[in-house]
Amino acid sequence: MTEMQTSKTDDDMLALLAETGRLRGVLAAALDCVVAMDASGTVVAWNPAAERTFGWSAAEATGRDMADLIVPTALRERHRAGLARYVSGGAPVLLDRRIEITAAHRDGHELPVELTITAIEGEHGDRPLFLGYVRDISDRLAAEEELRASRVRIVTAADDARRRIERDLHDGAQQHLVGLALTLRLVRGKLESDPVLAAELLDEAVEDLATATAELRELARGIHPAVLTEGGLEPALTGLSGRVAVPVTIERVPRERLAAAVEATAYFIVAEALTNVTRYAHAGRAYVDVHRDGGCLHVGVRDDGRGGADPATGSGLRGLADRVAALGGRFTVTSPPGEGTTLRAELPCAS
Amino acid sequence: MARTVLIVDDHAAFRARARRALELDGYEVVGEAADGAGGIAEAARLHPSVVLLDVGLPDASGFDVAARIAGAGTDVVLTSTREYDALEAGSAAAGFVPKAELSGAALDAALAER
Repeated sequence: MTEMQTSKTDDDMLALLAETGRLRGVLAAALDCVVAMDASGTVVAWNPAAERTFGWSAAEATGRDMADLIVPTALRERHRAGLARYVSGGAPVLLDRRIEITAAHRDGHELPVELTITAIEGEHGDRPLFLGYVRDISDRLAAEEELRASRVRIVTAADDARRRIERDLHDGAQQHLVGLALTLRLVRGKLESDPVLAAELLDEAVEDLATATAELRELARGIHPAVLTEGGLEPALTGLSGRVAVPVTIERVPRERLAAAVEATAYFIVAEALTNVTRYAHAGRAYVDVHRDGGCLHVGVRDDGRGGADPATGSGLRGLADRVAALGGRFTVTSPPGEGTTLRAELPCAS
Repeated sequence: MARTVLIVDDHAAFRARARRALELDGYEVVGEAADGAGGIAEAARLHPSVVLLDVGLPDASGFDVAARIAGAGTDVVLTSTREYDALEAGSAAAGFVPKAELSGAALDAALAER
């Protein structure tokens, strides 16, 4: 650093950056792009991270105008004007603070980056050198966008589920109970004047009530199976597999109790998968394998049907993927045409 | 002469029970329809004095259907298991009867409100 303080020209600075062994080591190992330009905008340092991010080698970049290499065409004039203003004594605009901006790759595609620029003032009136630390944030922005989108999907799915329950109640049990009310009202009016009709109406009322009760029971189980809460995955999956139209072989299922969110997610994966098998797969048999391995619950459902399921279409599989992601797990669907469909999920379940 | 009724509701079981309840109370049920389009067509064809109209039809809102049907000798009474009675006030309907309370007398009362 003492050398830096005694440097007098840009060439000296260039020599420092490019040739000081320790500094070169630091630049080479840095995960961020470290680039430097002189007061005329010419590149004087370009580390390996910058080579990877922008597609220009250090040899190609050095000596070229920084603006031509990584500043998108639309921003170049502002870049040059800002540099000229600062060098001629104007107030710094972008220095020493984090900014997010668009940069350009050698192949022309643009990428979002975060960037800080610092000026190293030359001694005795020498012109300054500018060091930029640049990080490609495409992945982070994409991850943030996916997180935001999956949150919206989860909330939307919850709202949709509530609407569906309201509609199922309205179209099912509620209609039968309404019919029951109308029938009982008639019975009251006919008890003495027409006891035969009254008896017939009462039979009908009992039937309406039985239908309403059955529909409520079915609906309640669809919302959350009581057997899962009371007994865990083994009885819940055994019961579920007995209710679907396709024969199901349960290969493994853990007997011990797991976290409620893990049990519920595993249950709904199997339920959704078996529903799909019944509806679309044209399968002869489905196989359910749920087992614990280390800190993960592995859930697998496969069938011998026609395959070709596309997880991108249909909200069911999408909803399962979101649900698994919310628990920090992994979810995959493999469905080559003609070779059946396999759903797999790994759910973290710390003991 | 008995007052004529058209029942518009997408639940067949409800239509059957409503028909029986109203007929036992002296109404003449002249037709049934399972959706809004059918209701409008049947109302135009049959000219019933009353249309008992479900709010939650598969193809349309009962409020919109009521606006198309009501008038020229035909009164509309809305019905639902949902709590739509608060919305009935600004509609073209003469009244609202909760499904579970439907009877000839309840229909009379709803029509008398107008």
